[in-house]
Amino acid sequence: MSWKPEADDLAARRAFADGLGGPEAIEKHHAQGRLTVRERIAGLTDAGSFQEVGKLTGKGAYVDGQLDKVVPAPYVMGLAKIDGRPVAIGGEDFTVRGGTSWGSDRRKGGQGGFVEDLAHEYRIPLVNLIDGAGGSVASATRRGYTVFPGIHGFERSVQLMAEVPVVSAVMGTAAGGPAGRAILAHWSVMVKGTSQVFAAGPPVVERSLGQKIDKEALGGAGIAVDTAGTIDNAADDEPSAFAMIRRYLGYMPRNVWELPPVVKTDDPPDRADEGLLTIVPRERRQPYNMRKLVGMIVDRDSAFEIQPTCGRAVITSLARLHGYVVGVIANNPMVNGGAMDVKAARKQAHFIQLCDTFHIPIVFLVDVPGFMVGLAAEQAATLREGMRAVYVALQATVPMLTCVIRKCYGMAGMGTTDKNGLDFKIAWPSAEWGSLPVEGGAAAAFKREIESAADPAARLKEIEADLRKLASPLLTAEAFAVEDVIDPRETRAYLCRFVEAMQGRLATTLGPKLRAGVPP
Amino acid sequence: MATKEVKSEITGAVWKIVKQPGDMLGEEDAIMILESMKMEIPVLAECTGRLLELKVKENEPVAEGQVLAVVEV
Repeated sequence: MSWKPEADDLAARRAFADGLGGPEAIEKHHAQGRLTVRERIAGLTDAGSFQEVGKLTGKGAYVDGQLDKVVPAPYVMGLAKIDGRPVAIGGEDFTVRGGTSWGSDRRKGGQGGFVEDLAHEYRIPLVNLIDGAGGSVASATRRGYTVFPGIHGFERSVQLMAEVPVVSAVMGTAAGGPAGRAILAHWSVMVKGTSQVFAAGPPVVERSLGQKIDKEALGGAGIAVDTAGTIDNAADDEPSAFAMIRRYLGYMPRNVWELPPVVKTDDPPDRADEGLLTIVPRERRQPYNMRKLVGMIVDRDSAFEIQPTCGRAVITSLARLHGYVVGVIANNPMVNGGAMDVKAARKQAHFIQLCDTFHIPIVFLVDVPGFMVGLAAEQAATLREGMRAVYVALQATVPMLTCVIRKCYGMAGMGTTDKNGLDFKIAWPSAEWGSLPVEGGAAAAFKREIESAADPAARLKEIEADLRKLASPLLTAEAFAVEDVIDPRETRAYLCRFVEAMQGRLATTLGPKLRAGVPP
Repeated sequence: MATKEVKSEITGAVWKIVKQPGDMLGEEDAIMILESMKMEIPVLAECTGRLLELKVKENEPVAEGQVLAVVEV
Protein backbone atom coordinates (compact mmCIF):
# COMPACT_ATOMS: atom_id res chain seq x y z
CA MET A 1 0.00 0.00 0.00
CA SER A 2 1.36 3.38 -0.93
CA TRP A 3 0.19 6.85 0.07
CA LYS A 4 -0.77 7.61 -3.52
CA PRO A 5 -4.44 8.42 -2.73
CA GLU A 6 -3.35 11.00 -0.17
CA ALA A 7 -0.78 12.42 -2.57
CA ASP A 8 -3.51 12.74 -5.19
CA ASP A 9 -5.76 14.41 -2.64
CA LEU A 10 -2.98 16.91 -1.86
CA ALA A 11 -2.54 17.63 -5.56
CA ALA A 12 -6.27 18.22 -5.93
CA ARG A 13 -6.30 20.60 -2.95
CA ARG A 14 -3.31 22.48 -4.34
CA ALA A 15 -5.10 22.81 -7.67
CA PHE A 16 -7.94 24.60 -5.87
CA ALA A 17 -5.37 26.99 -4.37
CA ASP A 18 -3.87 27.60 -7.81
CA GLY A 19 -7.36 28.35 -9.08
CA LEU A 20 -7.64 31.36 -6.73
CA GLY A 21 -11.15 32.89 -6.76
CA GLY A 22 -12.12 31.11 -10.00
CA PRO A 23 -11.83 32.00 -13.72
CA GLU A 24 -14.55 34.65 -13.62
CA ALA A 25 -12.98 36.58 -10.74
CA ILE A 26 -9.53 36.31 -12.33
CA GLU A 27 -10.85 37.59 -15.67
CA LYS A 28 -12.45 40.57 -13.95
CA HIS A 29 -9.19 41.27 -12.11
CA HIS A 30 -7.16 41.07 -15.34
CA ALA A 31 -9.65 43.34 -17.11
CA GLN A 32 -8.69 46.08 -14.66
CA GLY A 33 -5.08 45.80 -15.76
CA ARG A 34 -4.06 43.91 -12.63
CA LEU A 35 -2.20 40.64 -12.15
CA THR A 36 -3.21 37.93 -9.68
CA VAL A 37 -1.13 37.46 -6.55
CA ARG A 38 0.40 34.27 -7.99
CA GLU A 39 1.33 36.06 -11.22
CA ARG A 40 2.86 38.85 -9.13
CA ILE A 41 5.00 36.50 -7.07
CA ALA A 42 6.09 34.70 -10.27
CA GLY A 43 6.88 38.01 -11.96
CA LEU A 44 8.92 39.34 -9.08
CA THR A 45 10.90 36.35 -7.82
CA ASP A 46 13.52 34.11 -9.44
CA ALA A 47 11.99 31.43 -11.68
CA GLY A 48 11.05 28.30 -9.72
CA SER A 49 12.25 29.76 -6.41
CA PHE A 50 8.86 30.19 -4.71
CA GLN A 51 8.23 27.67 -1.95
CA GLU A 52 4.68 28.37 -0.91
CA VAL A 53 3.71 27.82 2.71
CA GLY A 54 0.13 27.20 3.76
CA LYS A 55 -1.20 26.33 0.33
CA LEU A 56 -3.89 24.11 1.86
CA THR A 57 -5.49 26.93 3.82
CA GLY A 58 -9.03 27.77 2.90
CA LYS A 59 -12.57 26.72 3.44
CA GLY A 60 -13.30 23.17 2.31
CA ALA A 61 -16.76 22.11 1.20
CA TYR A 62 -17.59 18.44 1.67
CA VAL A 63 -20.32 16.23 0.17
CA ASP A 64 -20.90 12.96 2.04
CA GLY A 65 -17.55 13.35 3.74
CA GLN A 66 -15.76 13.79 0.39
CA LEU A 67 -14.00 17.02 -0.52
CA ASP A 68 -16.03 18.87 -3.12
CA LYS A 69 -13.99 22.05 -3.37
CA VAL A 70 -11.86 24.51 -1.42
CA VAL A 71 -12.23 28.28 -1.45
CA PRO A 72 -8.60 29.24 -0.87
CA ALA A 73 -7.58 31.66 1.85
CA PRO A 74 -7.22 35.14 0.33
CA TYR A 75 -3.52 35.37 1.17
CA VAL A 76 -0.62 33.66 -0.64
CA MET A 77 2.85 33.60 0.90
CA GLY A 78 6.09 31.75 1.39
CA LEU A 79 9.81 31.76 0.81
CA ALA A 80 11.37 32.82 -2.49
CA LYS A 81 14.53 34.24 -4.00
CA ILE A 82 15.15 37.58 -5.65
CA ASP A 83 18.43 37.74 -7.58
CA GLY A 84 19.56 34.61 -5.75
CA ARG A 85 18.89 35.98 -2.25
CA PRO A 86 16.09 34.69 0.02
CA VAL A 87 13.02 36.79 0.82
CA ALA A 88 9.79 36.24 2.71
CA ILE A 89 6.99 37.26 0.39
CA GLY A 90 3.23 37.42 0.63
CA GLY A 91 0.18 39.18 -0.71
CA GLU A 92 -3.59 39.30 -0.57
CA ASP A 93 -5.57 37.48 -3.23
CA PHE A 94 -8.09 40.05 -4.40
CA THR A 95 -10.02 37.43 -6.39
CA VAL A 96 -11.19 35.80 -3.15
CA ARG A 97 -13.56 38.11 -1.29
CA GLY A 98 -11.54 41.18 -2.28
CA GLY A 99 -8.59 39.97 -0.22
CA THR A 100 -10.38 40.76 3.03
CA SER A 101 -9.06 39.33 6.26
CA TRP A 102 -10.01 35.77 6.90
CA GLY A 103 -10.44 33.84 10.13
CA SER A 104 -7.70 31.21 10.26
CA ASP A 105 -6.13 29.66 13.33
CA ARG A 106 -2.73 31.18 12.65
CA ARG A 107 -2.52 34.24 10.46
CA LYS A 108 -0.64 33.86 7.18
CA GLY A 109 0.44 37.46 6.73
CA GLY A 110 -0.61 40.96 5.85
CA GLN A 111 -0.37 42.27 9.41
CA GLY A 112 1.90 40.01 11.43
CA GLY A 113 1.39 36.34 10.60
CA PHE A 114 3.70 33.55 9.44
CA VAL A 115 5.35 35.51 6.63
CA GLU A 116 6.46 38.27 9.03
CA ASP A 117 7.60 35.68 11.59
CA LEU A 118 9.64 34.05 8.82
CA ALA A 119 11.35 37.35 7.96
CA HIS A 120 12.03 37.95 11.66
CA GLU A 121 13.29 34.49 12.59
CA TYR A 122 15.43 33.94 9.49
CA ARG A 123 16.45 37.59 9.24
CA ILE A 124 15.55 37.89 5.58
CA PRO A 125 13.85 40.76 3.72
CA LEU A 126 10.06 40.96 3.64
CA VAL A 127 8.09 41.87 0.53
CA ASN A 128 4.41 42.78 0.98
CA LEU A 129 2.25 42.74 -2.14
CA ILE A 130 -0.73 44.69 -0.88
CA ASP A 131 -4.10 44.27 -2.54
CA GLY A 132 -6.69 43.90 0.16
CA ALA A 133 -9.64 45.81 1.49
CA GLY A 134 -8.74 45.16 5.12
CA GLY A 135 -11.28 44.57 7.84
CA SER A 136 -15.00 44.52 7.26
CA VAL A 137 -17.81 45.37 9.66
CA ALA A 138 -19.38 42.13 8.46
CA SER A 139 -16.84 40.17 10.53
CA ALA A 140 -18.81 41.12 13.66
CA THR A 141 -21.76 39.06 12.44
CA ARG A 142 -19.47 36.04 11.98
CA ARG A 143 -17.82 36.39 15.39
CA GLY A 144 -20.79 37.60 17.38
CA TYR A 145 -18.78 40.52 18.82
CA THR A 146 -16.75 43.49 17.66
CA VAL A 147 -12.97 43.22 17.85
CA PHE A 148 -10.69 45.65 19.60
CA PRO A 149 -8.34 47.49 17.18
CA GLY A 150 -5.05 45.65 17.01
CA ILE A 151 -6.24 42.07 17.31
CA HIS A 152 -3.89 41.51 14.40
CA GLY A 153 -1.41 44.10 15.51
CA PHE A 154 1.51 45.85 13.89
CA GLU A 155 3.96 44.93 16.64
CA ARG A 156 5.89 42.42 14.51
CA SER A 157 5.78 44.77 11.52
CA VAL A 158 7.32 47.52 13.67
CA GLN A 159 9.96 45.15 15.04
CA LEU A 160 10.99 44.19 11.49
CA MET A 161 11.79 47.83 10.70
CA ALA A 162 14.86 47.55 12.92
CA GLU A 163 15.92 44.12 11.61
CA VAL A 164 15.42 43.41 7.91
CA PRO A 165 14.58 45.37 4.75
CA VAL A 166 10.80 45.68 4.38
CA VAL A 167 9.30 46.57 1.01
CA SER A 168 5.64 47.33 0.35
CA ALA A 169 4.05 47.34 -3.05
CA VAL A 170 0.51 48.72 -3.23
CA MET A 171 -1.01 46.73 -6.08
CA GLY A 172 -4.68 47.65 -5.72
CA THR A 173 -6.89 49.82 -3.57
CA ALA A 174 -5.58 49.80 0.00
CA ALA A 175 -7.57 51.33 2.83
CA GLY A 176 -7.38 50.89 6.59
CA GLY A 177 -5.08 48.12 7.83
CA PRO A 178 -3.49 47.24 4.46
CA ALA A 179 -2.83 50.95 3.84
CA GLY A 180 -1.19 51.21 7.25
CA ARG A 181 0.83 48.07 6.50
CA ALA A 182 2.04 49.70 3.26
CA ILE A 183 3.53 52.60 5.21
CA LEU A 184 5.35 50.34 7.68
CA ALA A 185 8.13 49.69 5.20
CA HIS A 186 11.59 51.00 4.46
CA TRP A 187 10.54 51.60 0.90
CA SER A 188 7.21 51.49 -0.90
CA VAL A 189 5.98 51.58 -4.47
CA MET A 190 2.56 51.81 -6.11
CA VAL A 191 1.28 51.47 -9.67
CA LYS A 192 -0.01 54.51 -11.54
CA GLY A 193 -3.70 54.29 -12.39
CA THR A 194 -4.40 50.87 -10.88
CA SER A 195 -3.53 51.38 -7.24
CA GLN A 196 -4.69 53.79 -4.57
CA VAL A 197 -3.95 54.17 -0.89
CA PHE A 198 -5.79 56.10 1.82
CA ALA A 199 -6.92 55.91 5.44
CA ALA A 200 -10.46 55.48 4.15
CA GLY A 201 -12.00 55.30 0.69
CA PRO A 202 -14.59 57.50 -1.07
CA PRO A 203 -17.76 56.08 0.59
CA VAL A 204 -16.41 56.76 4.11
CA VAL A 205 -15.11 60.19 3.04
CA GLU A 206 -18.49 61.14 1.63
CA ARG A 207 -20.35 60.03 4.76
CA SER A 208 -17.89 61.70 7.10
CA LEU A 209 -17.29 64.99 5.30
CA GLY A 210 -19.81 65.16 2.50
CA GLN A 211 -16.82 65.28 0.16
CA LYS A 212 -17.47 63.59 -3.19
CA ILE A 213 -14.21 62.37 -4.65
CA ASP A 214 -13.20 59.31 -6.66
CA LYS A 215 -10.54 56.90 -5.43
CA GLU A 216 -7.86 57.93 -7.94
CA ALA A 217 -8.24 61.62 -7.04
CA LEU A 218 -8.21 60.73 -3.33
CA GLY A 219 -5.34 58.29 -3.17
CA GLY A 220 -3.81 57.64 -6.60
CA ALA A 221 -0.11 58.11 -7.24
CA GLY A 222 -0.66 61.83 -7.94
CA ILE A 223 -1.64 62.32 -4.29
CA ALA A 224 0.07 59.47 -2.43
CA VAL A 225 3.44 59.70 -4.22
CA ASP A 226 3.82 63.14 -5.83
CA THR A 227 1.96 65.32 -3.33
CA ALA A 228 2.06 63.59 0.04
CA GLY A 229 5.05 61.24 -0.14
CA THR A 230 2.95 58.60 1.67
CA ILE A 231 4.34 56.07 -0.82
CA ASP A 232 7.89 56.55 -2.08
CA ASN A 233 7.90 55.73 -5.79
CA ALA A 234 5.36 55.22 -8.58
CA ALA A 235 5.68 52.59 -11.32
CA ASP A 236 4.03 52.75 -14.75
CA ASP A 237 2.75 49.17 -14.51
CA GLU A 238 3.11 46.08 -12.35
CA PRO A 239 6.18 44.61 -14.13
CA SER A 240 7.98 47.96 -13.71
CA ALA A 241 7.10 47.88 -10.01
CA PHE A 242 8.69 44.41 -9.76
CA ALA A 243 11.83 45.67 -11.51
CA MET A 244 12.02 48.55 -9.02
CA ILE A 245 11.63 46.19 -6.04
CA ARG A 246 14.45 43.97 -7.34
CA ARG A 247 16.60 47.05 -7.89
CA TYR A 248 15.91 48.42 -4.39
CA LEU A 249 16.68 45.11 -2.68
CA GLY A 250 19.95 44.95 -4.64
CA TYR A 251 21.27 47.79 -2.45
CA MET A 252 20.12 46.21 0.80
CA PRO A 253 21.85 43.72 3.05
CA ARG A 254 19.75 40.70 4.08
CA ASN A 255 19.48 42.17 7.56
CA VAL A 256 21.07 44.72 9.89
CA TRP A 257 23.69 42.18 11.04
CA GLU A 258 25.26 42.18 7.56
CA LEU A 259 26.77 44.72 5.19
CA PRO A 260 25.09 45.60 1.88
CA PRO A 261 26.24 43.58 -1.15
CA VAL A 262 29.30 44.83 -3.03
CA VAL A 263 29.21 44.46 -6.80
CA LYS A 264 32.08 44.45 -9.24
CA THR A 265 32.03 47.47 -11.51
CA ASP A 266 33.99 48.26 -14.64
CA ASP A 267 33.62 51.97 -13.92
CA PRO A 268 37.12 53.05 -12.79
CA PRO A 269 37.16 54.67 -9.33
CA ASP A 270 39.43 57.41 -10.66
CA ARG A 271 37.19 58.29 -13.60
CA ALA A 272 37.21 62.09 -13.82
CA ASP A 273 34.18 63.48 -15.63
CA GLU A 274 35.16 66.68 -17.43
CA GLY A 275 31.55 67.87 -17.21
CA LEU A 276 32.02 68.42 -13.48
CA LEU A 277 34.24 71.39 -14.23
CA THR A 278 31.47 73.29 -16.01
CA ILE A 279 28.22 72.03 -14.50
CA VAL A 280 27.96 74.71 -11.81
CA PRO A 281 27.40 78.16 -13.40
CA ARG A 282 29.70 80.94 -12.22
CA GLU A 283 26.64 83.17 -11.83
CA ARG A 284 25.43 82.28 -8.33
CA ARG A 285 21.80 82.86 -9.19
CA GLN A 286 21.76 80.26 -11.91
CA PRO A 287 20.83 76.71 -10.91
CA TYR A 288 22.08 73.50 -12.53
CA ASN A 289 21.04 69.89 -12.89
CA MET A 290 22.01 68.19 -9.61
CA ARG A 291 20.71 64.79 -10.80
CA LYS A 292 23.15 64.93 -13.68
CA LEU A 293 25.92 65.92 -11.27
CA VAL A 294 25.18 62.90 -9.04
CA GLY A 295 25.26 60.64 -12.11
CA MET A 296 28.72 61.92 -13.07
CA ILE A 297 30.17 61.01 -9.67
CA VAL A 298 28.67 57.64 -8.70
CA ASP A 299 29.28 54.32 -10.50
CA ARG A 300 27.74 54.50 -13.97
CA ASP A 301 23.92 54.01 -13.89
CA SER A 302 24.05 53.03 -10.22
CA ALA A 303 21.76 55.75 -8.82
CA PHE A 304 18.26 54.72 -7.77
CA GLU A 305 16.25 57.69 -6.60
CA ILE A 306 13.91 57.35 -3.63
CA GLN A 307 10.87 59.67 -3.65
CA PRO A 308 11.84 61.44 -6.89
CA THR A 309 8.61 63.43 -7.15
CA CYS A 310 7.99 64.60 -3.59
CA GLY A 311 10.12 66.90 -1.46
CA ARG A 312 11.99 67.78 -4.64
CA ALA A 313 14.26 70.36 -2.98
CA VAL A 314 16.46 67.41 -2.01
CA ILE A 315 17.42 64.38 -4.09
CA THR A 316 17.92 61.11 -2.19
CA SER A 317 19.43 58.17 -4.07
CA LEU A 318 20.88 54.79 -3.30
CA ALA A 319 23.96 54.42 -5.45
CA ARG A 320 27.39 52.81 -5.59
CA LEU A 321 30.93 54.13 -5.37
CA HIS A 322 33.55 51.61 -6.51
CA GLY A 323 30.89 48.94 -6.03
CA TYR A 324 30.08 49.85 -2.42
CA VAL A 325 26.54 50.97 -1.61
CA VAL A 326 26.19 54.60 -0.51
CA GLY A 327 23.23 56.85 0.19
CA VAL A 328 23.54 60.14 -1.69
CA ILE A 329 21.75 63.22 -0.35
CA ALA A 330 22.00 66.11 -2.80
CA ASN A 331 20.20 69.45 -2.60
CA ASN A 332 18.34 70.49 -5.74
CA PRO A 333 18.92 74.16 -6.65
CA MET A 334 16.09 73.97 -9.21
CA VAL A 335 13.47 73.75 -6.44
CA ASN A 336 13.30 76.47 -3.75
CA GLY A 337 16.92 77.21 -4.65
CA GLY A 338 17.63 74.04 -2.68
CA ALA A 339 16.10 75.42 0.54
CA MET A 340 14.80 72.69 2.82
CA ASP A 341 11.04 72.71 3.06
CA VAL A 342 8.91 70.44 5.20
CA LYS A 343 8.62 67.64 2.62
CA ALA A 344 12.33 67.70 1.77
CA ALA A 345 13.16 67.60 5.49
CA ARG A 346 10.89 64.61 6.08
CA LYS A 347 12.37 62.81 3.09
CA GLN A 348 15.94 63.54 4.17
CA ALA A 349 15.31 62.41 7.77
CA HIS A 350 13.77 59.12 6.61
CA PHE A 351 16.62 58.50 4.18
CA ILE A 352 19.30 59.14 6.82
CA GLN A 353 17.63 56.67 9.19
CA LEU A 354 17.33 54.13 6.38
CA CYS A 355 21.05 54.40 5.61
CA ASP A 356 22.02 54.38 9.28
CA THR A 357 19.91 51.28 9.95
CA PHE A 358 21.47 49.27 7.11
CA HIS A 359 25.04 50.55 7.57
CA ILE A 360 25.03 52.44 4.28
CA PRO A 361 27.51 55.35 4.38
CA ILE A 362 26.05 58.71 3.43
CA VAL A 363 27.48 61.13 0.88
CA PHE A 364 26.14 64.68 1.10
CA LEU A 365 26.45 66.80 -2.05
CA VAL A 366 25.59 70.11 -0.49
CA ASP A 367 23.95 73.16 -2.03
CA VAL A 368 21.56 74.35 0.64
CA PRO A 369 20.83 78.02 1.41
CA GLY A 370 19.06 77.01 4.64
CA PHE A 371 15.53 76.16 5.72
CA MET A 372 12.69 77.40 3.53
CA VAL A 373 11.40 80.80 4.67
CA GLY A 374 8.07 82.59 4.48
CA LEU A 375 4.61 82.32 6.00
CA ALA A 376 3.66 79.09 4.24
CA ALA A 377 6.89 77.46 5.42
CA GLU A 378 6.29 78.54 9.03
CA GLN A 379 2.69 77.33 8.91
CA ALA A 380 3.91 73.95 7.71
CA ALA A 381 6.33 73.66 10.69
CA THR A 382 9.42 73.70 8.47
CA LEU A 383 11.60 74.65 11.43
CA ARG A 384 10.45 71.66 13.46
CA GLU A 385 10.67 69.15 10.60
CA GLY A 386 13.96 70.70 9.50
CA MET A 387 15.43 70.31 12.99
CA ARG A 388 14.23 66.72 12.95
CA ALA A 389 16.38 66.17 9.85
CA VAL A 390 19.29 67.80 11.65
CA TYR A 391 18.60 65.69 14.78
CA VAL A 392 18.62 62.36 12.94
CA ALA A 393 21.83 63.34 11.14
CA LEU A 394 23.49 64.13 14.46
CA GLN A 395 22.20 60.91 15.99
CA ALA A 396 23.23 58.65 13.11
CA THR A 397 26.46 56.71 13.58
CA VAL A 398 27.06 55.56 10.02
CA PRO A 399 30.04 57.37 8.40
CA MET A 400 29.16 60.43 6.33
CA LEU A 401 31.19 62.29 3.73
CA THR A 402 30.36 65.91 2.96
CA CYS A 403 31.17 67.54 -0.36
CA VAL A 404 30.03 71.14 -0.63
CA ILE A 405 29.13 71.97 -4.24
CA ARG A 406 27.89 75.52 -3.70
CA LYS A 407 25.90 76.84 -0.74
CA CYS A 408 26.13 75.44 2.77
CA TYR A 409 24.32 77.71 5.17
CA GLY A 410 22.74 77.64 8.56
CA MET A 411 21.17 74.76 10.41
CA ALA A 412 20.29 72.86 7.25
CA GLY A 413 23.97 73.09 6.31
CA MET A 414 25.07 71.84 9.72
CA GLY A 415 22.83 68.80 9.26
CA THR A 416 25.00 67.65 6.34
CA THR A 417 28.12 66.92 8.37
CA ASP A 418 29.41 63.90 10.29
CA LYS A 419 29.63 65.61 13.66
CA ASN A 420 29.76 62.31 15.58
CA GLY A 421 32.40 60.85 13.31
CA LEU A 422 35.32 62.08 11.26
CA ASP A 423 33.54 65.38 10.44
CA PHE A 424 35.17 65.20 7.04
CA LYS A 425 34.19 67.99 4.67
CA ILE A 426 35.56 68.64 1.21
CA ALA A 427 34.45 71.42 -1.09
CA TRP A 428 34.50 72.56 -4.69
CA PRO A 429 35.94 75.99 -5.59
CA SER A 430 32.33 77.12 -6.13
CA ALA A 431 31.54 76.47 -2.45
CA GLU A 432 30.46 79.15 0.00
CA TRP A 433 29.21 78.88 3.57
CA GLY A 434 28.32 80.68 6.73
CA SER A 435 25.56 81.04 9.26
CA LEU A 436 23.44 82.72 6.59
CA PRO A 437 23.93 83.96 3.00
CA VAL A 438 25.40 87.43 2.49
CA GLU A 439 22.23 88.62 0.75
CA GLY A 440 19.68 89.42 3.42
CA GLY A 441 22.22 88.72 6.14
CA ALA A 442 24.19 91.90 5.46
CA ALA A 443 21.11 94.13 5.48
CA ALA A 444 20.18 92.83 8.95
CA ALA A 445 23.66 92.81 10.51
CA PHE A 446 24.66 96.30 9.30
CA LYS A 447 21.21 97.90 9.49
CA ARG A 448 22.21 101.09 11.34
CA GLU A 449 25.33 101.69 9.24
CA ILE A 450 23.37 101.26 6.01
CA GLU A 451 20.48 103.46 7.11
CA SER A 452 22.78 106.32 8.16
CA ALA A 453 24.77 106.25 4.89
CA ALA A 454 24.22 108.99 2.30
CA ASP A 455 23.33 106.34 -0.29
CA PRO A 456 22.06 103.29 1.67
CA ALA A 457 21.72 101.05 -1.41
CA ALA A 458 25.31 101.74 -2.47
CA ARG A 459 26.59 101.17 1.07
CA LEU A 460 24.76 97.81 1.24
CA LYS A 461 26.43 96.77 -2.03
CA GLU A 462 29.86 97.79 -0.68
CA ILE A 463 29.35 95.81 2.52
CA GLU A 464 28.18 92.78 0.58
CA ALA A 465 31.20 92.97 -1.72
CA ASP A 466 33.56 93.17 1.30
CA LEU A 467 31.90 90.17 2.93
CA ARG A 468 32.01 88.17 -0.29
CA LYS A 469 35.80 88.60 -0.48
CA LEU A 470 36.00 86.68 2.79
CA ALA A 471 33.78 83.92 1.40
CA SER A 472 36.44 82.09 -0.65
CA PRO A 473 36.56 78.44 0.45
CA LEU A 474 40.35 78.57 0.08
CA LEU A 475 40.59 80.93 3.09
CA THR A 476 38.64 78.39 5.15
CA ALA A 477 40.92 75.62 3.83
CA GLU A 478 43.99 77.58 4.97
CA ALA A 479 42.55 77.50 8.48
CA PHE A 480 41.76 73.75 8.05
CA ALA A 481 38.16 74.57 8.92
CA VAL A 482 37.23 72.62 5.80
CA GLU A 483 39.47 69.60 5.26
CA ASP A 484 40.04 70.10 1.53
CA VAL A 485 39.04 72.07 -1.53
CA ILE A 486 39.24 69.90 -4.63
CA ASP A 487 39.06 70.10 -8.41
CA PRO A 488 35.44 68.96 -9.10
CA ARG A 489 36.80 66.30 -11.47
CA GLU A 490 38.56 64.61 -8.51
CA THR A 491 35.33 64.14 -6.55
CA ARG A 492 34.66 60.53 -7.56
CA ALA A 493 38.20 59.32 -6.92
CA TYR A 494 38.36 61.11 -3.57
CA LEU A 495 35.02 59.69 -2.37
CA CYS A 496 35.77 56.17 -3.67
CA ARG A 497 38.99 55.99 -1.66
CA PHE A 498 37.30 56.93 1.60
CA VAL A 499 34.23 54.73 1.04
CA GLU A 500 36.54 51.76 0.42
CA ALA A 501 38.62 52.56 3.49
CA MET A 502 35.60 52.75 5.84
CA GLN A 503 34.37 49.22 5.01
CA GLY A 504 36.44 47.62 7.77
CA ARG A 505 35.01 49.95 10.35
CA LEU A 506 31.45 49.34 9.07
CA ALA A 507 31.98 45.61 9.63
CA THR A 508 32.75 46.26 13.30
CA THR A 509 29.52 48.16 14.03
CA LEU A 510 26.85 45.79 12.69
CA GLY A 511 23.54 45.01 14.34
CA PRO A 512 20.43 47.01 15.23
CA LYS A 513 20.83 50.72 15.95
CA LEU A 514 19.55 52.04 19.23
CA ARG A 515 18.20 55.56 18.98
CA ALA A 516 17.52 56.94 22.42
CA GLY A 517 15.83 60.25 23.06
CA VAL A 518 12.93 62.10 21.54
CA PRO A 519 13.36 63.64 18.08
CA PRO A 520 11.66 67.05 17.81
CA MET B 1 -2.82 70.04 -33.82
CA ALA B 2 -1.60 68.83 -30.45
CA THR B 3 -0.74 71.28 -27.71
CA LYS B 4 1.16 70.95 -24.47
CA GLU B 5 0.79 73.11 -21.38
CA VAL B 6 4.05 74.10 -19.73
CA LYS B 7 3.51 74.38 -15.98
CA SER B 8 5.54 75.96 -13.20
CA GLU B 9 7.21 73.45 -10.90
CA ILE B 10 7.79 76.12 -8.27
CA THR B 11 6.34 79.17 -6.59
CA GLY B 12 8.08 82.40 -7.58
CA ALA B 13 7.83 85.26 -10.06
CA VAL B 14 8.48 85.67 -13.77
CA TRP B 15 11.89 87.33 -14.05
CA LYS B 16 12.41 87.36 -17.80
CA ILE B 17 10.49 86.16 -20.87
CA VAL B 18 12.93 84.62 -23.34
CA LYS B 19 10.73 83.33 -26.16
CA GLN B 20 7.77 84.98 -27.86
CA PRO B 21 4.67 83.38 -29.42
CA GLY B 22 5.56 82.00 -32.84
CA ASP B 23 9.14 81.11 -31.85
CA MET B 24 10.32 77.59 -32.56
CA LEU B 25 11.42 75.61 -29.50
CA GLY B 26 13.85 72.76 -28.85
CA GLU B 27 13.61 70.49 -25.80
CA GLU B 28 16.38 72.30 -23.94
CA ASP B 29 15.18 75.81 -24.79
CA ALA B 30 14.11 78.06 -21.95
CA ILE B 31 10.78 79.76 -22.61
CA MET B 32 11.16 82.06 -19.63
CA ILE B 33 13.15 82.39 -16.43
CA LEU B 34 11.45 82.46 -13.06
CA GLU B 35 12.90 83.88 -9.91
CA SER B 36 12.45 81.89 -6.71
CA MET B 37 14.51 81.98 -3.52
CA LYS B 38 17.02 84.33 -5.21
CA MET B 39 17.63 81.79 -7.96
CA GLU B 40 16.92 82.07 -11.67
CA ILE B 41 15.01 78.98 -12.63
CA PRO B 42 14.67 78.35 -16.37
CA VAL B 43 11.36 76.96 -17.62
CA LEU B 44 12.28 74.51 -20.35
CA ALA B 45 10.04 73.60 -23.28
CA GLU B 46 10.83 69.89 -22.75
CA CYS B 47 9.50 69.20 -26.24
CA THR B 48 10.11 70.46 -29.73
CA GLY B 49 7.43 72.69 -31.19
CA ARG B 50 6.24 76.23 -31.60
CA LEU B 51 5.34 78.59 -28.77
CA LEU B 52 1.64 79.30 -29.13
CA GLU B 53 0.80 81.42 -26.14
CA LEU B 54 2.32 82.95 -23.03
CA LYS B 55 0.00 82.87 -20.03
CA VAL B 56 2.08 85.17 -17.80
CA LYS B 57 3.93 88.50 -17.99
CA GLU B 58 7.26 89.60 -16.56
CA ASN B 59 7.23 90.28 -12.80
CA GLU B 60 3.97 88.35 -12.38
CA PRO B 61 3.92 85.98 -9.39
CA VAL B 62 3.34 82.32 -10.28
CA ALA B 63 2.20 79.38 -8.18
CA GLU B 64 3.38 75.77 -8.37
CA GLY B 65 1.38 73.95 -11.03
CA GLN B 66 0.27 77.17 -12.79
CA VAL B 67 0.19 77.04 -16.60
CA LEU B 68 2.88 79.39 -17.94
CA ALA B 69 2.77 78.75 -21.66
CA VAL B 70 1.16 76.63 -24.36
CA VAL B 71 3.30 74.91 -26.97
CA GLU B 72 2.15 73.45 -30.28
CA VAL B 73 3.89 70.11 -30.68
